[in-house]
Amino acid sequence: MKKKVLLSIFIILISFLQNSCGSKRISKKIIVASSGKIESLDPARANTLKAIQLISSLGDTLYELDSNGELTPQLASGMPIISKDRLQITINLRKNVFFHDGTSFNSNAIKFTFNRFKRIGTMNYILGNKIKSIETPSEYSVIINLNKPSSSLNGLLTSVNLTPISPSFYKEYSDKFLNEKFVGTGKYVLTSFSNEVQSIDPNLNYWGEKPLNNGINFVGYSNSSSLFGALKSKQIDVLLSNSIDDSQRKSLNNLSRNKQFKEGNSPFTELSFISLKTSSYPLSNLNLRMALAKSINRKLISDKVSYGLRKPSRSIIPPILKKDNKEVWPKYDYLEARRLLQKENYCNGNILRIPLTYRSNVPADKLIALTWQEEIKNSLKDCIDVVLNGVESTTVYKNLSLGIYTAVILDWTGAYSDPEAYLTPLLSCNEIVDGICKQGESVYSGSFWGSDKVKSLFLESEKISGIKRLEKLVEIEKIAANSIPYIPIWISSQKAWSQSKISKPIFNGAGIISLSDLKLIYE
Amino acid sequence: MSRNFNKLLNYSLQKISLIPIMLWIISSLVFILLRVAPGDPVDAILGSGADEVSREFLRNKLGLNEPLINQYFIYIKNILHLDFGQSLSTQEPVLNIILKSLPASLELGFFSILSAILIGFPLGLISLRKRGKKTDYIARILGIATYAIPPFWGAMLAQLLFSVFFNISPIGGRFPIFQEQPQITGFLVLDSILSNNIIAFKDSLYHLALPSITLGLLLSGIFSRSLRVNLEKTLKSDYVNAAICRGISRKRIFLNHALPNALLPIVTISGLTMASLAGGALLFEVTFSWPGIALRLHEAISQRDYTLVQGIVIFTSMLIVSLNLFVDILIAYLDPRIEY
Repeated sequence: MKKKVLLSIFIILISFLQNSCGSKRISKKIIVASSGKIESLDPARANTLKAIQLISSLGDTLYELDSNGELTPQLASGMPIISKDRLQITINLRKNVFFHDGTSFNSNAIKFTFNRFKRIGTMNYILGNKIKSIETPSEYSVIINLNKPSSSLNGLLTSVNLTPISPSFYKEYSDKFLNEKFVGTGKYVLTSFSNEVQSIDPNLNYWGEKPLNNGINFVGYSNSSSLFGALKSKQIDVLLSNSIDDSQRKSLNNLSRNKQFKEGNSPFTELSFISLKTSSYPLSNLNLRMALAKSINRKLISDKVSYGLRKPSRSIIPPILKKDNKEVWPKYDYLEARRLLQKENYCNGNILRIPLTYRSNVPADKLIALTWQEEIKNSLKDCIDVVLNGVESTTVYKNLSLGIYTAVILDWTGAYSDPEAYLTPLLSCNEIVDGICKQGESVYSGSFWGSDKVKSLFLESEKISGIKRLEKLVEIEKIAANSIPYIPIWISSQKAWSQSKISKPIFNGAGIISLSDLKLIYE
Repeated sequence: MSRNFNKLLNYSLQKISLIPIMLWIISSLVFILLRVAPGDPVDAILGSGADEVSREFLRNKLGLNEPLINQYFIYIKNILHLDFGQSLSTQEPVLNIILKSLPASLELGFFSILSAILIGFPLGLISLRKRGKKTDYIARILGIATYAIPPFWGAMLAQLLFSVFFNISPIGGRFPIFQEQPQITGFLVLDSILSNNIIAFKDSLYHLALPSITLGLLLSGIFSRSLRVNLEKTLKSDYVNAAICRGISRKRIFLNHALPNALLPIVTISGLTMASLAGGALLFEVTFSWPGIALRLHEAISQRDYTLVQGIVIFTSMLIVSLNLFVDILIAYLDPRIEY
């Protein structure tokens, strides 16, 4: 009897607390949560998914990639016009567009933004030495002069880092960052900013379609469990995070299937792969690299590590950028792997020892390594011995170009939406000696692989555009697939989950969620 | 009296004179350990995609290409001027970042100690009063259990239970997302009182409740156990027996003689606990997304933000050393048995 009374009191107390604690939610703004905090709202500095997401709501880029991967004008009034010698790109700009400070958007703003990014941008290396100068022949027209033909510049024009900002507002910040404010032309205006919480309201003077909601509150939680718990307990409306644990991702996926949440997916853009050091024995031997590539059971890895939520991939270019799903890397075939190893005198008492490095602070990497190691123990125990070595990620990045790692698990997301943004950082090389890259991007990716054919194809691709250029880039990928400097494992997408009373999150082709399309659904 | 005061002053000066040496050792160790630790702030800022030219440019810009000894002397010179430099990742002055984050940690620390005392003292007293009985055993087991539970596990359990399952507490943060927080001192409870904002006061307490009570509960074990052990020892001492023989009431003996003496070791424990909490309860702040100094340190370490890590460690070391000094002097003043 006493226990029943105590239990009743407890239940009444909990119900009372549920209804009375804290202030009631009075705002009609949608709460979007993700992991981490935003250090800066300066487009020249932004390099985290969350900051890029917020900036893309506060500003517009010249062009955007739609969900089919097609370039669509935003602040540009039409597609870029490229000169015959491919050294000049003319862009006509949209008129009657205003920055949040009331000043008008024009060609000067583009010049100011591009030059500022070139000068102080944290990731200004994505421009490389491509842009020579920017001219402003009229108020609504800009000419970008290039040092050499660059067909990837179209993709660069979609980069959030190049979001036009108001020259008058940023006058005193032309050579330094402005972290806590943002004045662009976007659908929303920033109303408050702290590292943990940011609030944005609809821009009433927006030139295009107005947002479907009353504004967004962004909040950052410091760990995956808090994000998961906050969505489940309805303390947030939308969860946007790629860093959430795979088990929680699976749980949210199941709950979405049961209609408790709505799940939105971006196109697949994040590639996980193994970089093989091709400059020294044993992996300088193509047959051994091929054997390793054939020993990887991607489906098993995807099922065991990501519960099948990440797409096994035999390609290093995301399907949306390739416009097809053709995969060129060798399929899993352990019998063929054994044959290749035997051809190189392994297996009969001679075991190929492969030290595999993984980033110890990336949980999925360790699980990939362990799963591959187990798979090899099952099927090629007498041929290969994979020795695991966990190293913290910044150390891995620092040592990659020193050639310390025989094989290392890495990932890559292109800085802009173009196949080149995946191929160049992995395969390009400036100086090749006997098939080994001495200087260039493939050194910094740890493979040290160089091919004169690839080098000339890269140069040729700069001079053409459209489908012909794409064919060249796919040809480069095929050459790489036959030489195996890398082994792609899977390709993953950004995910977002919303409560059932909110519309389903929609992503554009660059993996950015369209916040203005989120709306409350009244039943 | 004046001789005693002079002695106490000498004792305090001796202790204070050790502080600069301690801080120099700490700051040098932090400098060396950060440089020895693997990883590079340039790689943390630029990721793996940047080319060598960009890396070199940023390394030069951040002063990381200077010889280590030069970096060290610049660092020590700046510390002497209380200039902790700028954060490598945000370019914001480190002192600003510390002063923005510190109130959150101090507020959490203060309310946690308060909760620990409010939970621990009654438990210790009940345990002593019901010595050898069921209640005593339960209180003692509870005391040991709370002390033994890993803080991160306790925090996650509390979060899961009260924020997700019962949904009576916010999952994290210091203030509701949709409200503007009062900004006077940075201590939100105090600020809401100063600005006469009842709703803000209620909201800040609502957010503070779960992390501070959970941390307080985990710390309460040490308070209840120490109080029980010290009180038991004091109540068995000769001077208490002598007081009983003289016919002094038990209540008076307890309040005027036994309790003050039993509390002396607890002052030391409280001081040390407060000092350690001033540096932030790292795993608590991470679990509850509490924007305090420990969470900032956690982020700075992962970003290899050398200047911020150095600044936070030295600043919290100063706080801890100062609090320890204060406790030492207080104990010396309160306890006549201590010679100085």
